[in-house]
Amino acid sequence: MFLSIQEFFGHFHPLLVHLPIGILLTGILLQWLSHTEKFKQVQVAVPVVLLCGMIAAFASCITGYLLSISDDYDKTTVSWHQWMGIGVAVFSLLLFLKVSKFSIPVNEKILAAGLMVLIFVAGHLGGSLTHGSDYLTKPLADVFGKDSVPDNIIKPLPNVQEAYVYRDVIKPIFQTRCYGCHGEKKQKGKLRLDDSLMLMKGGKDGKVIEPGNAEGSELIKRLLLPVDNEDHMPPKEKPQPAESQIALLKWWISQGADFDRKVKDLHQPEQISPILLALQKENVPEKKTVDFPEEEVEKADGSVLEKMKQQGIVVLPVAQNSNWLMVDFVTDQEISNEVLHWLPELKKQLIWLKLAGTNINDSDMAVIAQLGNLRWLNLQNTNITDKGLASVQTLLHLQYLNLVGTKVTLQGILQLRGLKSLHSLYLYQTHINRSEWPALQKAFPKTRIDSGGYLVPMLVTDTIVEKAKKE
Amino acid sequence: MTQKELHNQRLLREAERTVMHMHTRRHFLKESAMGLGALALGSFLGSCGTPAPGTDVVFDPAHPLLPKLSPFPGRAKAVIYLHMAGAPSQLELFDYKPELMKMDGQDCPKSLLEGKRFAFIRGVPKMMGPQAKFTQHGQSGAWVSEHMPHLATIVDELSFLKAVTTDQFNHAPAQLMVHTGSPRMGRPSLGSWVTYGLGTENQNLPGFVVLTSGGKNPDAGKSIWGSGFLPSVYQGVQCRSEGSPVLFMNDPDGMDRDLRKASIDAINEVNRQEYAEYKDPEILSRISQYEMAYKMQISAPEVMNIHNEPDYIHELYGTKPGQACFANNVLLARKLVEKGVRFVQLFDWGWDSHGSDASLAIDVGFINKCRQVDKSITALILDLKQRGLLEETLVVWGGEFGRTPMMENREGKKMPFKGRDHHTEAFTIWMAGAGIKKGFCYGETDEIGYSTVSGKVEPFDIQATILNQLGFDHEKFTYQFQGRPFRLTDTRGKVIEDILA
Repeated sequence: MFLSIQEFFGHFHPLLVHLPIGILLTGILLQWLSHTEKFKQVQVAVPVVLLCGMIAAFASCITGYLLSISDDYDKTTVSWHQWMGIGVAVFSLLLFLKVSKFSIPVNEKILAAGLMVLIFVAGHLGGSLTHGSDYLTKPLADVFGKDSVPDNIIKPLPNVQEAYVYRDVIKPIFQTRCYGCHGEKKQKGKLRLDDSLMLMKGGKDGKVIEPGNAEGSELIKRLLLPVDNEDHMPPKEKPQPAESQIALLKWWISQGADFDRKVKDLHQPEQISPILLALQKENVPEKKTVDFPEEEVEKADGSVLEKMKQQGIVVLPVAQNSNWLMVDFVTDQEISNEVLHWLPELKKQLIWLKLAGTNINDSDMAVIAQLGNLRWLNLQNTNITDKGLASVQTLLHLQYLNLVGTKVTLQGILQLRGLKSLHSLYLYQTHINRSEWPALQKAFPKTRIDSGGYLVPMLVTDTIVEKAKKE
Repeated sequence: MTQKELHNQRLLREAERTVMHMHTRRHFLKESAMGLGALALGSFLGSCGTPAPGTDVVFDPAHPLLPKLSPFPGRAKAVIYLHMAGAPSQLELFDYKPELMKMDGQDCPKSLLEGKRFAFIRGVPKMMGPQAKFTQHGQSGAWVSEHMPHLATIVDELSFLKAVTTDQFNHAPAQLMVHTGSPRMGRPSLGSWVTYGLGTENQNLPGFVVLTSGGKNPDAGKSIWGSGFLPSVYQGVQCRSEGSPVLFMNDPDGMDRDLRKASIDAINEVNRQEYAEYKDPEILSRISQYEMAYKMQISAPEVMNIHNEPDYIHELYGTKPGQACFANNVLLARKLVEKGVRFVQLFDWGWDSHGSDASLAIDVGFINKCRQVDKSITALILDLKQRGLLEETLVVWGGEFGRTPMMENREGKKMPFKGRDHHTEAFTIWMAGAGIKKGFCYGETDEIGYSTVSGKVEPFDIQATILNQLGFDHEKFTYQFQGRPFRLTDTRGKVIEDILA
């Protein structure tokens, strides 16, 4: 009971601490201002403000102490923060007495300066405790392009069977998901996972790992609780381990929670083998923009964009804050020669172009050939033939090419063998014979070629209407 | 008080009187008769002044449907949402439960009924085993029953969500939940949010088209494609499912296109004057609607007409031109998406298999419903694929909830036919195309399909995923209304990363 009340008041500390900082700094500011002629009259407010600040400082000290014994933070930082906080309280008391005309044998300015220094140091240490010591400097490191590899990425293993179970498979999971609160800096619930002895010893509620009994281990139980449950670990606002990672932890514990053996020495059930194998692969963080370039490009010429919009052509960046462009002639199917020649002015930015159903022909393709950054080109239902297709050879970044309903033949397509990035090629209703498909697929081994012409054959059941059976 | 101050005071009083005069009862009524109701107007005006922080969408009332940018590049350019209104039985389609067969005819265990409420089941119902044969299909080995033999051939294109849950066990609230993120009326629908956020590519067609079949509108009525508090231009445009999809598309006798254009110009001029006086953005929306209606006369007949499609396409989809049927709507959906329509919403009514009559029986009407949709949905996926559209079109199939593993016993009595009651704790929805994994299955239910075991998702998660594929972070995509930012997923929703390719 006592502990929970203590914790309750302790939790007010992060809220209360801001009061003495603000009030005392205001007090010092007022005090300095009162020395000037213009603000002389604020002099009377100084003792009151300092008194309030001092009371808040003492309240913060008390709640801070309660927090420090009920929660688990890095001991040395806490101790420094504690003494600096007490210093703030003491100095604010002295300064208050001084301005209230008690005789204190120290200069008022020195007291005020000392108090300010203490406030900043204590405040900074407090910030480091809650947000981590790199909280302030991290954005700077990003700005200056420092090597800020996120610590939540697990490096792939060269050969998982030769790897050590704990060191190479299990520890990285703890490292990326748990050490933040149960590591060197903090030991919430008195639990420390970064040391094998401490890990086996457990936390304040006892052991967290029972070797050989994964389901009975507190660690696994907590991981498997619903995310909304108060006891779920990691807390719901923190990054959660993947299902495969939980499976690995379960496997390790059920195999005896061994710290020295290699993966190959342990029994590997059917469902664990693929997860282990996956550790060998580079686990690239998922990209949101699969088809669009990563780097940025300069802004396109605004006057060209305006002209095109007036014409009713859809021309848009691919996303907000991006200069890469897409152009769609969906409502302007009769493209004049003039309009067509606007396109090369956007050749740097243009990566997505839909000309489906337009009047574009082979001779126009020379213009399209200049659009060297195109990733995506849709020429569906146009009059393009093999001759025009020759121009597409120069579009080396092309990933998607839609030629549905055009007159292209096998020979025309084979001209595009140099397009190494091409991953989708749509050739439904083109002049390619059935017999030529194998040759085509061979010529483009890495491209998904869709020949179309799918059928959904009528089944006998399609036409039967079920009737209620007579009882 | 000086002369000047007195004068100022008089001026102020006069200004106040003018304002009061503007708000007399008569004026209030005039205002409400004019448009969409003065109340809605007031709240709307109040809400459009200050965009909420984090709202990236700019609303231009004069060009409300112009294509707009998403915050990040989306994988999907368009969405086709196939809603089987009434809620199809997952236990006869995708969620194969051989263990349930063993319990067939037994009393439902007490543990499944304690503390639970059902729409119609009372007392202790009997368990009912799967009323269909299941086999595994494709390389992914997905289980599909004999009722959807065509769809079974394309399971390697789909991602199944087997553990969808909801908290509404009646049709209308559950449908609202799926489409508007709230079981009560008044929120904008998914399609409205999408067209509000992205506009639409083709300015000659509506951005959000709704097509219904099955002889009835869904239970929740037109609110499930309503625009809620978003500007009304973003509500779904319902096209007729029989005959001409849009009425009065052709010029009437004695009135040629030019005269029609002239009358629209005149109406718009009146509206513009009205706007100059009242500054109600809804008037601008109305002007743009008139303009779009005129432009639709040119482009819509071609797009909306499935008669001109070649025979092999009719064969592929199993369409019946001229009749009202789901297959026609599916083909229309493909044509619309191809022409740059952003969101096509299909509702097919008749999936509410309670067993109260033959058309609603699991072993009769339900099978017929499956046959009505199976071929055309399969054709849609394949047709989108061969046209290169599946890469940029997101297809979603599902109902508003699932059906119980128990046989329904309405009012504790035996039903005339085999049926299942509404079930909120587990059902199946599938998604395909536009960056969704192919041949994948996410989520698992227990051995009788009663509740979820893993991979549980709710409608909010599906909405979040759809928005994500369109390039929106569902948490940041908001609209300021009644003094606070609203979002489709309210306070919930998590993108289902596992099904993203």
